[in-house]
This record gives sequence, C-alpha cells and structure tokens, in this order.
Amino acid sequence: MITIKNASKTYVNKVKVLNNVDLNIEAGEFISIVGQSGAGKTTLVKVLIGEERLDGGQVIVGDWDITKITGREVPFLRRQIGVIFQDFKLLPKKTLAENVAFALEVSGGSSAKINKIVPSVMKIVGLEDKKNRYPDEVSGGEKQRAAIARALVHQPKILLADEPTGNLDAINANEIIDLLLRINKFGTTVILVTHNKEIVNHLKHRVITMEHGRIISDQENGKYLL
Amino acid sequence: MLSLYRIIKFSFQDIARNVWLSIATITILLLALFSINTLMTVRVISDSASKAVQEKIDISLYIKPETPESEILALKADISKSARVKNIVYVSREAALIDFREKYKNNQEVLAALKELGRNPLSPSLTIVPSNFAESNLLINELRMIDKPIIESRDFSDNAVVLNKINGITKRVNEVGLFIIMIFILTSLLVVYNTVRVAIYTHRQEIEIMRLVGASNSFIYLPYVFSAFIYTLFSTLIIIILFYPFLTLLQPYLEVFFMGYNVNILSYFVTNFWSVFGLQFAVVLVINVLASLFAVSRYAKV
Repeated sequence: MITIKNASKTYVNKVKVLNNVDLNIEAGEFISIVGQSGAGKTTLVKVLIGEERLDGGQVIVGDWDITKITGREVPFLRRQIGVIFQDFKLLPKKTLAENVAFALEVSGGSSAKINKIVPSVMKIVGLEDKKNRYPDEVSGGEKQRAAIARALVHQPKILLADEPTGNLDAINANEIIDLLLRINKFGTTVILVTHNKEIVNHLKHRVITMEHGRIISDQENGKYLL
Repeated sequence: MLSLYRIIKFSFQDIARNVWLSIATITILLLALFSINTLMTVRVISDSASKAVQEKIDISLYIKPETPESEILALKADISKSARVKNIVYVSREAALIDFREKYKNNQEVLAALKELGRNPLSPSLTIVPSNFAESNLLINELRMIDKPIIESRDFSDNAVVLNKINGITKRVNEVGLFIIMIFILTSLLVVYNTVRVAIYTHRQEIEIMRLVGASNSFIYLPYVFSAFIYTLFSTLIIIILFYPFLTLLQPYLEVFFMGYNVNILSYFVTNFWSVFGLQFAVVLVINVLASLFAVSRYAKV
C-alpha cells in the first residue's frame, strides 16, 4: 500500500528530520507511529499528503510515486488520503454537516453525491443527531468525529491521524480510537501518529518508533518504547 | 458547471463577509473611472472647440471697389488652384453690405452712420479657407506673393493664436489628467491587491482546509479572480449611472459657453458608449485580475 525507501528530509536550518527512513505498510493495516517531539512523525505525514517534498528517497502510495508528484496532482492525492489533526481544522461558521459537505463541494462533488454521502458518514461517526450544530456547540470528541467524517467522504484507502487525541480527555480519546479501529475493519489503512503511551499499548497493533528522524523500532503487536 | 456555480457562490460569500472592504475597493475604482471620464470630457470639449474654431478660420483679400467682376473671378480661379486652399468664396459689394446690415441689425448707431454715408462703402472680397490649419501660414505666404493691382488689402487676422491657446490648454489638461489617471490606476492596483490579500488572510483557515481536503488550485484562486470581475462590473455600472446625469447637467452650460459652435458632450458619450465604457471595463478588469492573481499566487499558499 505504502512503500517508503531511504526517505531523507533536511530543513533550511540544517535539521535532519527524516534520515534514510525505510517503511512498508500493507493495505488494511493499523499502525501507530510514535516518538518524541521532533522525531519526524509529522514530517512523514506531511510527505505522505504532498505538503512536504523529500530531499532524497522515494514514497510510493499504491502504484503512485508521490516523490514525483506535480502541483496539479496533489489535490487528487489528498482525495485518496484522509487526514485528521489534533486541532480538528473545522470551519467555525459552518455546521458539522456543512463542514463535511465542504470537502466534497471543493472537489467538485455533485449535489446528489453530497446528499447521499454526508448523512451516511455522519451516521458512521455517530453524529447524525448533531449534524446541524456548529463546532463550538459540541465537545472536542465530537469535533474530532466530524473531522473523521470529513476525511471519510472521499472514501479514502488510507486515513492519516496526526495526534487525533492530543486535545481530548481519556474518554473521548478512547471513543476516537474505537472509531478509527472500526474504520480500519472496513478495510481502510489507518496510520496513527501519537505520543499517547496508554493508547498505543492498549491497541496491540504494529508500532513504529521514531527518534531523530530514524525508525529505531518496528514491532508487530508492539508497545510504546520511549 | 457545478464548479463554476460554487466558485461564484464562494466569491459572493467573500464579498459579503468583507462588505466594507468591498465597498472601499469599488469606491477607489469609481474615483479612478470618474477621473478618466472627466479627463475624456475635457478632451472632447477642447477637441470640439478646436475644430469649431478651425472651421471659422479664413483669410480675406479685399478688392478695389471699381474692379470688374470678371477680374475678381479670374483671381479667384488662380488662387483656388493652390492645394492649400480648401474653399474660396467671392463676396460682392452688395452681399458684403447685406452681411454687414445683418451683423449690425441691433446697432442703430452703426446703421445710422451707414445711412448718412449714402453709399456702399464696402469692398468686394475673396474669403479663403485653408485646407489644413497647420499649413495656413504657408498659404498666407503664397497669398502675400500675389502681385495684382486689383488687391486693395489683405486680412490675415490670426485666428491661429486662439487655436494655439486652445491646443495649449488641452495639452496641459491632458498632461495633468494623465498624471492623475496614473495615480488612480496605481492606487486601484494597490487597493485591489490589498483587498484580495486581506480576504485571503481572513479566509486562510478555509483555504488551508480546502487544500487539505483536495481542492484544486484553480478552485481556491478563481473565487478571488471572480470577485475582481464583480468589483470591475459594479464600478463600471455605477460610473455609467453617475456620469450620464452629470453630462446632462453639464450640457446646457456648454451650449451657453460655446454658443454658435456645435459642442455636444452628451451625444458623444451616447454615440461612443461601447467604445468608451467597454474599453474602460476591459482595462480595469485586466488590472484587477492581474492584481488578484498576483495576490493569490503570493498569499494563498497556506
């Protein structure tokens, strides 16, 4: 599904954030990428969604070498990879349903498609009764669920979750992880970037540990090592 | 089609959410267009006045009263051979007297003096209109060279002085006006650029999310370009709505000022409506779209 070969990235201040990273992720996997701040986790996510370019190496998503991706192709890549973030990135002036529909609107989805898909993803994330609420009228967990719903509208094969529980309490965090596990069971590859030890240890899935831009551990049914 | 609809929808949302900024932008564009049209009005008036004065330029040769008409007509034929002569008219003594009486019909003192004189004191004349105003001096030189004893006097009264003054004023107005227009165009460019920049700043979160969920660059940029089109359209429509009543008010004053001359500014703007306002719309649109594209390409990279 995703193959990363010798990925290297150095920022202008000469900080090497990715140092010869090799990683292979199979379709339908649920993997956690852990590491301390500055380990290179978020840079890896940015590379996968075409927001950052590698200095060296190769990243292949499906049959697509995204290290050679053009500016015009980036939007198409992002429609195939759903992303959620710690700060939710919802538009405050739109309702939860409008936020979800927005992803289809800006990518040219028809009104019929929007009317069909939005209610179904709202149902998957358990927000069908709160679809007309605005982001500041719901809890952090519900905001993150709305963000997940938005990430799902393009029916992506990969879902990237960059610290999705960072702003949530333990109960809401567990609900979000349960939701990600359910999405994974539907066949979507889930890549969870986190430094939440309890969650990683509870998941008992593959764990990639990063430090100073390198992968220092890759364990099936792994634990949080640091 | 659906994308176009959404681009237009996002554009109108942007204009409405930044309504004061949009009003300020349209106002600056209006000032620029008003200055351009005012300058154009001054130019049309001065051109019309200049043409009217040029048409009235003539040079007169006065002939001795007792000269037989055949000799006068022969002289007329000679002069009309010159390429610098547009038209030549023979005014007989009788015709000159009729013209004189008509000209002074309200001046009883002049008419009484003429009556007391008891005879026609006027000489026959040849009135010559130059084919080209710029070459009238050369024509005058040609006429000075004619050595015929039947010529009593030559009137080369210099209407060119008046024309030179008009042309001088027009030139000065054009120079100052061009300077003002350049300032307004530069201001409009900066204002539109800043409007788009502020709009992008207020929408940076929306743009970031658009990129995140896979919106194409054109979908992100085009609403701002369409907003530039809307600003241009509104400012051009408003200037049309404001300028025609302004011309209607101005026209009676012009008619009084240029009495006897055909200066109709309103009919000029009606006849040339599409070339005047169509061209202005096109130029302002190009300026606005360029400013918008420059702003979005620079600031819409969230």
